[in-house]
Amino acid sequence: MPEARYRIGIDVGGTFTDFVLADLNSATLRFHKEPSVPKDPSASVEAGIAAMLSRHAMQPREVELIVHGTTIGLNAIIQRRGARMAMVVSKGNRDLLELARLRLPSSYDFTEPREVPLVPRDLMFEVSARMRSNGSILVPLDPTEIEALAERLRAEKVEAVAILLLNSYRDASLEVELGTALRARLPGVLVSESGLIWPEVREYERGLVAGLNAYIHPLMTSYFTKLKNRLDGLGVTAPVYITANNGGSLSLETARARPIDTVLSGPASGVVASTRLGQANSQTKLITFDMGGTSADISVCQSGEPEFTTATFVGDFPLIMPVVNVGAIGAGGGSIVWVDKQGLLKIGPLSAGADPGPVCYGRGGTEATITDCYVILGILDPTTFLGGRMQLDTAAATRALDGIAERLGLSGANRAMAAAEAALRVASAKMGTEITKLLATAGVDPREFALVAYGGAGPTQANLLAAEAGLTSVIVPPAPGTFCALGAILADVRRDYIRTIRRLIGPAAGSDDGWADIVAAIEGLEKEARAWVAREGEIVGEHEMLVSFSLRYQGQAYELAVHIAPSLRDGLSAKHVCDLFHAEHERLYGFRDLAVPVETATARLGVVGKVPPVELPQAAPGQPLRQHSRPLWHGGHQISAAVFQRTELGAGALIRGPAIVEQLDTTTFILPGWQARADRLGALHLTREAAA
Amino acid sequence: MKLDPVLVEIFFHKVTAIAEEMAITLQRTARTTYVKEAGDYGCALAARGGRFFAYPKVLGVSGFLDSDVGPTMKRIPHLEPGDVVLTNHPFESEGLATHMPDLHLIRPIFFEGQIVAYAWDFIHSADIGGGVPSSISPRFSDLYQEGFQIPPVKLVKAGALNEDVLTLYKANCRTPEVNLGDIKAMLAALLVGEKRVLGLIAQHGLETFLDAQDDLVELAGTKALAVQRQIPDGEYVFSDFLDDDFNSKVPVRVRCRMVVKDGHIHLDFASSDPQVLAAYNIPTGGHRHVWLTLKLMHFIYSHDKTVPLNHGLFANVTVNAPRGTIVNPEPGAAVGVRSATAIRLNEALVGAMARAKPGLMPAPSGGIMIPCVLVEQDPASGQRRVMVLQSLVGGTGARMGSDGVDGRDSSLANQRNTPIEKTEEEAEAHIVQYALRPDSGGAGRWRGGTGVIFSVKIARFGSAVLGRGMERFVFRPWGMAGGRPGEKARVVVNAGTPQERELGKLDIFYPEPGDIVTIMTPGGGGYGDPLERPAGEVVRDVEVGYVSAGAAKCEYGVVIAGGRLDAAATEALRARLRAARGPAPDFDFGPERLAWDAVFDDATLNRMNGLLMRLGTNARPLVRRQLFERVVPDLAKVGILPLHEAVGDVAAARLRLENEMAALETMVQAMGGTIGT
Repeated sequence: MPEARYRIGIDVGGTFTDFVLADLNSATLRFHKEPSVPKDPSASVEAGIAAMLSRHAMQPREVELIVHGTTIGLNAIIQRRGARMAMVVSKGNRDLLELARLRLPSSYDFTEPREVPLVPRDLMFEVSARMRSNGSILVPLDPTEIEALAERLRAEKVEAVAILLLNSYRDASLEVELGTALRARLPGVLVSESGLIWPEVREYERGLVAGLNAYIHPLMTSYFTKLKNRLDGLGVTAPVYITANNGGSLSLETARARPIDTVLSGPASGVVASTRLGQANSQTKLITFDMGGTSADISVCQSGEPEFTTATFVGDFPLIMPVVNVGAIGAGGGSIVWVDKQGLLKIGPLSAGADPGPVCYGRGGTEATITDCYVILGILDPTTFLGGRMQLDTAAATRALDGIAERLGLSGANRAMAAAEAALRVASAKMGTEITKLLATAGVDPREFALVAYGGAGPTQANLLAAEAGLTSVIVPPAPGTFCALGAILADVRRDYIRTIRRLIGPAAGSDDGWADIVAAIEGLEKEARAWVAREGEIVGEHEMLVSFSLRYQGQAYELAVHIAPSLRDGLSAKHVCDLFHAEHERLYGFRDLAVPVETATARLGVVGKVPPVELPQAAPGQPLRQHSRPLWHGGHQISAAVFQRTELGAGALIRGPAIVEQLDTTTFILPGWQARADRLGALHLTREAAA
Repeated sequence: MKLDPVLVEIFFHKVTAIAEEMAITLQRTARTTYVKEAGDYGCALAARGGRFFAYPKVLGVSGFLDSDVGPTMKRIPHLEPGDVVLTNHPFESEGLATHMPDLHLIRPIFFEGQIVAYAWDFIHSADIGGGVPSSISPRFSDLYQEGFQIPPVKLVKAGALNEDVLTLYKANCRTPEVNLGDIKAMLAALLVGEKRVLGLIAQHGLETFLDAQDDLVELAGTKALAVQRQIPDGEYVFSDFLDDDFNSKVPVRVRCRMVVKDGHIHLDFASSDPQVLAAYNIPTGGHRHVWLTLKLMHFIYSHDKTVPLNHGLFANVTVNAPRGTIVNPEPGAAVGVRSATAIRLNEALVGAMARAKPGLMPAPSGGIMIPCVLVEQDPASGQRRVMVLQSLVGGTGARMGSDGVDGRDSSLANQRNTPIEKTEEEAEAHIVQYALRPDSGGAGRWRGGTGVIFSVKIARFGSAVLGRGMERFVFRPWGMAGGRPGEKARVVVNAGTPQERELGKLDIFYPEPGDIVTIMTPGGGGYGDPLERPAGEVVRDVEVGYVSAGAAKCEYGVVIAGGRLDAAATEALRARLRAARGPAPDFDFGPERLAWDAVFDDATLNRMNGLLMRLGTNARPLVRRQLFERVVPDLAKVGILPLHEAVGDVAAARLRLENEMAALETMVQAMGGTIGT
C-alpha cells in the first residue's frame, strides 16, 4: 500500500473556520468546521487540523500540502486595525492620500463622508527625490534628508513605511535606495517600495498598493510566524501556501513579503472551485453566487476560467492589481427586513450579522431578517439547522415578520408568511437587477449561464434568484459550506507582473516601431517570473507564462486588454499583437483603424506554477430511498414540499420541486416547476422541468 | 398608490436597473474621455409626459434628473417605432440641451402601436464646431459662435440611420469619427432601454408598468414633501455674484426669492441680472429646470436616501425665470459656460434656505471647476499639443455637525483628477505641487474644506496656460451661521521668489521656460462660530497642517505654544475676541461683498434690473456696464485690486449711484417705457 498523502485546504471565516481534507490515494474529500477564534485565528487552524489528524488516524508527516485562505489582512484594512505607518512621497505630493482621485462617494448626498486616508497627514513625509517620466532621475536622494527622515520616523515609532516617489513605475531604483537606507537605520521597520510591488503608472493607486502592503505587513508577518509555530507543534512539516487575490496561491515566504497579494483571496477561492466544478460538467459559462450571513457576492466566468479585474476596492481603497472579479450584490441571510415611512418593503443594507444574528437565533436579535423569512416559510427546518446544533425560534421570527406585515398593511392569519414571501421577492428582484447589470458590463446574455450556489444561504436563495433573473440552471456543489476551502487546495501557484511601457508597435508605426523594447520588457518579466517560481517550492511542477498587453490606438484615451495564448508566445510579432487588438476593437466598437499606430500602455505577465491536481471525487450512484414532506408557504398559499437528505442523493438522483434538500452546512430549496439531478460528482443541477 | 407596495418596491429596483444598464452599455462602448473618465453622460427613461421616471443612482451625471424631453418630442410631428430624435439645441429643446456639445438622443418606446415611454441619453461630445476646439469659451457672445445647432431631427427613421443628417453633422465638427463612436454607443444604450422596458411589460403587463411609474413618481413626491416641510413657511431672499460678465469687471448677480408654504416651494429668480454677451446664460426655457433646482435635489436626497430618483422629487417645486434674464435668455444667447452661473445660482438657493433655517444645507463650496490646460509647442515641427493638466475644484463647505471636505467637491461634476504621472507622460512640464491649501477653508465651529494648490514648472518655449471657469477671485465662498468665508482663488507666477507676480483671473497666460505657474482654488465656507470650535480640534488641524498656528490664533482664538495648546491663554483670548466680535452674523461674505452690498443694495439692484429689462436685449449690457463703471471708477482694476478697495468711499459711491439711477430712469422714460425685445 502506498504511503498516505493528504492535502488540507483552510478558509478562515468570521464564525467558522472551514477545512477540506483531500486524501490523494483514495481520491476522497472530507470536510470539517471549527468555530473561529477571532482573537487568534491560528488557534482554530491548529484545533481543526488536530481534530482531523485524530479523526482520520493520519500521521502529521503524511500531510504534503496546506493551502490557507485568510481574511486577517482584509479585516485589518476594513476595521482600520493595521500598523502605525508612515508614507514617504516626493516633494509636492504630501496630500496624495488626502486628495485621492478627488471623487466623493455620492453626487447626491452631502452627508456621505469621504474615506479616512490610510495614513494621516502628519505621517506623510516628503523628500526631494523623484524620477522623470522617461525613467531618468530628476532629483537624486539627499543624504541629509534621509538622516532627518529616519530620525522623524524613529520618533514617530512607526512599524512600517511605504515609499512612493514620482514616476518610480519606470524604475524603482530611487525608491529601493531610500528603502535600503531606511531599513539599515530603522531595524524592525518593514518597508514597502511601490515600484517593486506593482510598477504601474498612477501615483495614488500605486501608492496605495505600497501603503496597504505596509499597513498589514507587521500583522501578517506575525500571524504567519504564529501559524508556522503551531503547525510545527503538531508535527506537520508540510509546506504552507496562502491563497492569493488572483485565484492562485503563494508560498509562505512570498506571502510574507507581499501580503497585499492575499487580501481578497477568500472570494477568489470560491470562484476557482466553481470553475473546476464547471469544467467537470463541460459548463463554461458560470455565475458564481456566494451568499453568507452578511452579504452575497457574484462573479461571472464566460469561458470556464475565473475572470480578473484591475479596478476593485479593498475597504475604501481602490486596488489596481489583478484580482478575481467578484462583486457584492447585496443581501445576506442576516440582512434586515424593514418598512419605510411610505409603507415600502426594504431589505438591508443593515445586517444583524452573526451577533446578535436573526431573530430566530434567539440571541437578542429583534429585527426580522432574510433567514427569519426562510424559517417561517418552512424552507429552513428549525430543528435541523446546522445539523441540529442550533434550535431556531420560529415563534419569535413569526412575531417579527408579523410586525412587518402590520406596517405593510397586510391582514389575515397568514400575513407574516405573506410578508416573508414579499421580502424574498424584493431580495431576489434586487439581486436579479445586479446580475443583469453585471452581465451588461460584460455584454453577455444571462440565459446561457448557470448559477453556482454556495455559502450558507446560497443554495437556499439560488432557485428564487435564478427564476427572477431569467437564468435557466443552478448548480449546487456537494459541500457548499466549505467551498472556498476546497478552492484553496485546487489552486495553482500564481503571481502577476506588470511593466508600464509606452511604445508604438506594428506596421502603422513604421520606423517608430518599438517592438524590440516590448520584447525586452516581456523577456525581463519572464526572467523574473522564472526565478520566482523556481523558488516557490518542490510541489510546483511545470509553469506557464500568460502574456497580455493593454493597447490603444495612438491618441485614444482608453485601452483594451489583449491576451496572448501560451501557444503563440514563441515567435510573437508586433503584427500579430496588433491583429488581435484590431479584432478586439472591432468586436467592441464595430471598426478597426489600420492607419493609426497601435500603442502599448502596459505589458503584463502571469506565471502559473502547476501544482499536481486534486481530483474531485466521484459520487456513488443512488436514488433517494425514503421521502417525507413538510408544509411550505409558497406563492401565497400552503403547499407540501418533499424533504430529502443530501447524503441520500447519489449520482443520477432525480427529484422534483417543490422540494427541500437538507445537509449539515446548508439547505437547498427547489421551486415548483423545477427539478434537480445529481451529477457524477454529486453536485445538484436545478433546471426548469419543461427544459429538462 | 395604485399598486401594492411590494410591487412598487420591486419596480423601483427594476426600472432603476434599466437606466443603469443603459448607462453601462453607453460607458462600455463609448470612445471619448468625456464619457470614459469624466462620466459626462446620462441615461434615463421618460414617461409619456416627457419627464424621467427612472434614473441611474451612480452612473453618469447626477444633475439632469429633472430634464424634460417633452418639448423636443412635440417638435417632431410623426413618430414611428424605430425612430431616434437628435438635438443639441438649447432653445428648440427648451432647456433639455443646455449647451451645444451635449448631444441628446431620444427613442420613443412603442407597445402595441402606442408610445409607452421614452429612452433618453446624452453625452458631452468632444467638439461641435464653433470658435475654439471643444467648442466652449466664455468669450462667445452668441449661440452661432458656439458651433453647429441641431434642432430636434430624426437621426434614425424607423430603424434606418438618416444619412443626410449625419453628413451634415460630420461636416460641422472637428472630431467627427470620435463623435460617431460615441453616438453609436448612445444608440446601443437606447436599444437596451427599449428591450428591457418591453421585457418588463411582457412580465407585468402595460397597465402595471404605467401604474408603477405613477406610483414611483407619487412616492418620490411624498418623500420629498416630507423633507421640504423642514423648511419653515415664509419668504426668503438671497443673492450671489459671478465675479464679472467677461467683457468688463461688472459682477453678475443671481437672485433667488424662495417662497415656502407647507413644504411647497416656489423659486423666483426675477431680478436676477439681464442676460449677458458672454457664454454665462442658462437656457431653461423658463421651466422648472435642472440648473435651477440642483441644490434642492441634494437637500432632499441627503435627508431621505430612500427617495426614488424621478421627477416626482420636484413635484412640489415651481419656478419663475423671466425671459431675458440670465436664467432664461432669449434664443440666440451664448450658453457654453452656463454651469458657472448655475453654481452661483444654486449657492443663492442655499443661502435662501439658510435664511429660512440654518443647518439645512452646508455652506458653499469653493464653487469652481477649472480645467487647467497647458499648450506645449514642438520646437521642430511647431505642432501644438493641448493637455488638461488637472481638473481643479475647491473644498466643500462646512455644515452643521461636520467639517467640509478638503480639496474635493462633488456638488457639480464629481469628476476624477488626473494622476501627475499621467500628465507627465504627455507633457514636458513638471508638476511641482498638487496639495491642499492651508488656511483657505473658512474658519468655523465646523471648518470649510481647504482649496488646493497646483503648480506646474514650464519646460518649453511657446507654452501657454489656460483656465476657464475661474470664479471666486473677487467674491468669497461665504460663511454660514457665524462661520467665516473661504479664501479667494489666486493665480501666481514664481511664487515665493523675487519674481513672484499675481496674475489674477487667468484667461490665457504665456509663461517662459522655468516659470512656475501656481493656481490656488478657494476653500469652502465655514459653519458656526470659530470660537466655539473645540480647541483640541483646532490643535489637530494645526498638527496636520490644514490650519497655521497664526490662523488658529486670530481666527479661532486658540493659542499654541511649543506645539501644545495653551489652555489658559486660549480661554482668555477667546473671551476677548468674543467681546470684540459681538454676535456672530448669519452670513459672513468677506470685505469685498460687504462693500459691494453697501453701495448696491438689493432694492436698488431690483429697481435697476426692472428698468434695464425695459430696454432691448442687446441694449442692456452696455448701459449696465457704463452705469457700474461710473459708480465705481476703479472697477476695471478689480482682479488684482480687491473689490472693496476699488469701491473705496461707500458714501461717495452711493451718491454716484443715485445720480446714475436717476439718469437711467430718465433714459428709459424718454424711450417711452417698454421697448420691444
